[in-house]
Amino acid sequence: MARSNEVSINESKQMVVPLNTWVLISNFKLAYNLLRRPDGTFNRHLAEFLDRKVPANANPIDGVFSFDVIVDRATNLLCRIYRPSDTDEPPNVADLEKPVKSESSSTVPVIVFFHGGSFAHSSANSAIYDTLCRRLVGLCRAVVVSVNYRRAPEHRYPCAYDDGWTVLNWVKSRAWLESTDSKVHIFLAGDSSGGNIAHHVALKAAESESGIEVLGNILLNPMFGGELRTESEKRLDGKYFVSVQDRDWYWRAFLPDGADRDHPACNPFGPKAASLEGVKFPKSLVVVAGLDLVQDWQMAYVEGLKKAGQQVKDLYLEKATIGFYLLPNNAHFHTVMDEIKKFVSSNC
Amino acid sequence: MDELLAVLGYKVRSSDMADVAQKLEQLEMAMGTAQDDGISHLACDTIHYNPSDLSGWVDSMLSEFTNPPPPSAADPTAVLHNNSHSAGGNGGGESHKSAVFRDDSEYDLRAIPGVAAYPQADESDKDSCRKRMKTSAGGSSNSAAVSSPSSSSSPPPPIAAAAAPSSALIAEPTRPVVLIDSQEAGVRLVHTLLACAEAVQQDNVKLADALVKHTGLLAASQTGAMRKVATYFAEALARRIYKIYPQDCLDPSYSDTLEMHFYETCPYLKFAHFTANQAILEAFATANRVHVIDFGLKQGMQWPALMQALALRPGGPPAFRLTGIGPPQPNNTDNLQQVGWKLAHLAETIGVEFEFRGFVANSLADLEPEMLDLRPADVEAVAVNSVFELHRLLGRSAGMDKVLSTIKAMKPKIVTVVEQEANHNGPVFVDRFTEALHYYSSLFDSLEGSAASPSSPTTASQDLVMSELYLGRQICNVVACEGGDRVERHETLTQWRARMESAGFDPVHLGSNAYKQASMLLALFAGGDGYRVEENNGALMLGWHTRPLIATSAWQLAR
Repeated sequence: MARSNEVSINESKQMVVPLNTWVLISNFKLAYNLLRRPDGTFNRHLAEFLDRKVPANANPIDGVFSFDVIVDRATNLLCRIYRPSDTDEPPNVADLEKPVKSESSSTVPVIVFFHGGSFAHSSANSAIYDTLCRRLVGLCRAVVVSVNYRRAPEHRYPCAYDDGWTVLNWVKSRAWLESTDSKVHIFLAGDSSGGNIAHHVALKAAESESGIEVLGNILLNPMFGGELRTESEKRLDGKYFVSVQDRDWYWRAFLPDGADRDHPACNPFGPKAASLEGVKFPKSLVVVAGLDLVQDWQMAYVEGLKKAGQQVKDLYLEKATIGFYLLPNNAHFHTVMDEIKKFVSSNC
Repeated sequence: MDELLAVLGYKVRSSDMADVAQKLEQLEMAMGTAQDDGISHLACDTIHYNPSDLSGWVDSMLSEFTNPPPPSAADPTAVLHNNSHSAGGNGGGESHKSAVFRDDSEYDLRAIPGVAAYPQADESDKDSCRKRMKTSAGGSSNSAAVSSPSSSSSPPPPIAAAAAPSSALIAEPTRPVVLIDSQEAGVRLVHTLLACAEAVQQDNVKLADALVKHTGLLAASQTGAMRKVATYFAEALARRIYKIYPQDCLDPSYSDTLEMHFYETCPYLKFAHFTANQAILEAFATANRVHVIDFGLKQGMQWPALMQALALRPGGPPAFRLTGIGPPQPNNTDNLQQVGWKLAHLAETIGVEFEFRGFVANSLADLEPEMLDLRPADVEAVAVNSVFELHRLLGRSAGMDKVLSTIKAMKPKIVTVVEQEANHNGPVFVDRFTEALHYYSSLFDSLEGSAASPSSPTTASQDLVMSELYLGRQICNVVACEGGDRVERHETLTQWRARMESAGFDPVHLGSNAYKQASMLLALFAGGDGYRVEENNGALMLGWHTRPLIATSAWQLAR
C-alpha cells in the first residue's frame, strides 16, 4: 500500500525514528509553530484546544491508577498522583491516600515528575505525559507525583520552580507516602523543561535548611542553554524537529525580562551561576539524545556537576531525537527505561 | 488505528501513516513560505476542528496554506466570523472547504449570555424597527398551548420494541477523581457514606440507619463544600432507607427559580447555552428562516443571546421561530406564553422577525412531529436543542427511542445536546452512589470558589444556597429514587455518542473558535480559576480542574 514516493522522502527520517514517532513529533512541531507569536505572546487558547488530555482514573489500568490533588488552593496547583495497584479492584476513594508501604514494599520510591514542553506547553494531564508517568510506576514500583506547574509566558521564572518546591514540601510531609523508615524516599525527574526544573528544585532543597533529602535526579533531554552558540546547536539547527530560533523564543518567554541566556536558570554552570561545590546535591542520571541540538549544553551540565564533585551518570544515545521516550517503539526507549529502573532501585 | 498514537490521543490509521507524514512535510514547507511572506497571521485566524483526527487536521491546515483567500475587504469591526462553510465541521473525517474564516471571536462577546439581558423598552429603537418587525409572537400561538394528554398509559409502541439501548450498560472505565480535601475527617466522612450505601444495597437497614446518623455527626464537624455535599447525600440515603421518597412534582416555577440562581452563581448553564448557541449559529449560517425547538424552555435564558447574535449577522437576521416545550404548570399559569412574550419584546427591539409557540408536555416522548408545524427543510432550517433534558427519558424503555425518531422526523440541520458528564445511571446502586459523590463533590467545590463575590455578599450567598438546593434535589433523585421517579439518569458523553450514532446521527464538531470564546467567557463570568474547557473529539466539556462536569455535543442526520 505504501507509495514509493513517500518511502523515499521519509527514508532519511525512517532510519532515525519510526514513522509514527516522526508523525507525532512533527505534528507537535508544526502545531507549536502556530502557537508562538513573534511578539513573544502565546496562543494559549489554541494550545489548550490542541493538547490531547486524559482524565485521572481511579480504576486500575495495567496495574496503575491515578487521581488528582489540589496541593495549593491559592494558586490552583494540581498534581496527578499515580500509584501501583495489586488488584483489578478499584480502590475505595477513602483508600486513595492509604499508606504506600506494605509488607511486600517496605521502601517505596516517590518520583516527583515535571513534564516537558519548553516551559510553555503541555500539562500534567497531557496524554503523552500521563502515559509516561504510568510507565514509570510499573517500572520502578514507585508512586509518581506529576506536577502541573505554571507555564510561560504567562508565568515566568521562578513560578515553575516555586511550584516544584511547593510540591516537594507537600510530598515530604505526607505520612501516607512514607516508607517503613518513616521517611519519604524522593526522586525528582523531568524531561526537557521538566529536567531543568528538577535541577533547580533539587538545588533549592540542597541549599535550604529544609532537611529535604532528594535521593536522585533523573533528567531526560534537560533544557539548558546559554548565550554562546555551541557546535551542536549550529550543526543540528532545524534538522530534527527543533531549531535554535524556537529555543531562543522559549527562553525569552521563561526568563525574566531583560535577562539573557546566561541567567543561572538557563545556564546553571555559566558565568552568572553560583558554584555547586560542597552542596549536598543528589546523584543525577542525565540522558542526552545525540540528535538533540541542545546536547552540548546538556554535556556541559554533566561536566559541571562532575567538576563540582557531584555524582552523575550520563547516558548518551547517539541516534536518538527529542521525544524518543514518548513511544515504546525503539531501542533507546528500552535502554533508558532500564537505566531509570536501575538508578531508582540502587539509590532508593 | 495505530495503537501507540491512539493512547496519546491521536487517531491515525496505520495505512494512512505514510500519507499523513508526507502531508506534514508539505505543511511544513507551506508554513515556512507563509512566514517568509509575513502572512503567518493566517495560522492564528483559522478555526481548528477535532485535533485527534490528525489526518483531517493536516488536510485542513494544508488547504488554508495552499489556497489562501483574497485579502479581506471587510470592515475590521465586522462582527461575526463568516461561518458560511457547510455542515459546521467534520462529520466523519472529511476535510473542510478551503476558505479561511477570519476568527473575529474577539468581537463575538455580544453573543455571550448574560450580556444579552432583556433590554429596557427604547422608544427610538421601536420606531426604527417597526417597519421590519413582524411580531407574530403570542398572537398565533394562542392555539399553541397544546397540552399533551398526561395519560399514564404508554404512548403507541415505537417501531423497534427492542430492549433498552445497550449503551446504558456500557461499563464506563474511567473514574476521574480530584481530591481537594485530604484531611483526615473528610476521608472518614466519605468512607462512612460509602459504607452506608453498601449497607443500603444489602438491605441491612439497621446498619444503614446507624451509619447515616454517624454521617450526620461527621458532616457537622466539616466545613465548606464537603459538609454540604455530605449533608445532601446523607439526607438522600435516609430517604431511601426510610422510604420517604421526595415528591418530584414540585412546583415547576420553584425549580425554575432554583435554576436561575444556579445560572447566576456558576458558569455551567452559561457554558451550556453559549456552546449550543455557537453550534446553532454555525448551522444556521446562511438560512433565511430558522426554527429552534427547545426541549426545555424554562425561563428561556438561552435565547436572548442567540437572537442578538442573529440580529448582528452580516446581511441581516433570519426570521426566527422558537418552539418551547415545558411541563404542565399548576394553577394553569402559562409560563411558556410569558416567556414567549418576553422574547417577542426583545425581538422587537433588536429587529428580528419572531414567532413563538409553546407546548406543554409531561414527557418529551409525548411529542409528535405533526404538532410542530414543520416547514420544508429548504424553506426553514431547524435546530433541536436539549440542555439537561434527554437523560430524563432513560427511565422509560422506548421513551428515548421515540424521542430520537421524533427528532429525526423534524429533519434538523443541527441537534445540540448538553448533558452532565457522569454515569449516574448504572444498575448497581453503590457504583451509582460513588460516581455521584465524586461528581457533586467537584461541583459543590467549584461553587465555593465561584460564589466568593465581593460586590454583594448577601445576594451571593443567597444565590449559593439556591444553587446548592438545585443540585441537592438532583442528588436526592439519583440516590433515593427508582423506576419512573428517578429522572436524573445522567450518562457520559461516550454513552451519548454511542446512542446518537446508532440512532443515525453524525457528529458536528465544535471548533477552536467556540473553545476560545468559551474560555474567555469563563474568565469573565467565573469567579474561580479552576474552570477548564476541554476539547473531546469535537465536543466541548466544562470541568472543575481536571474533572469534566458537563459536555456539549452537536449532531446532524447521518448521510
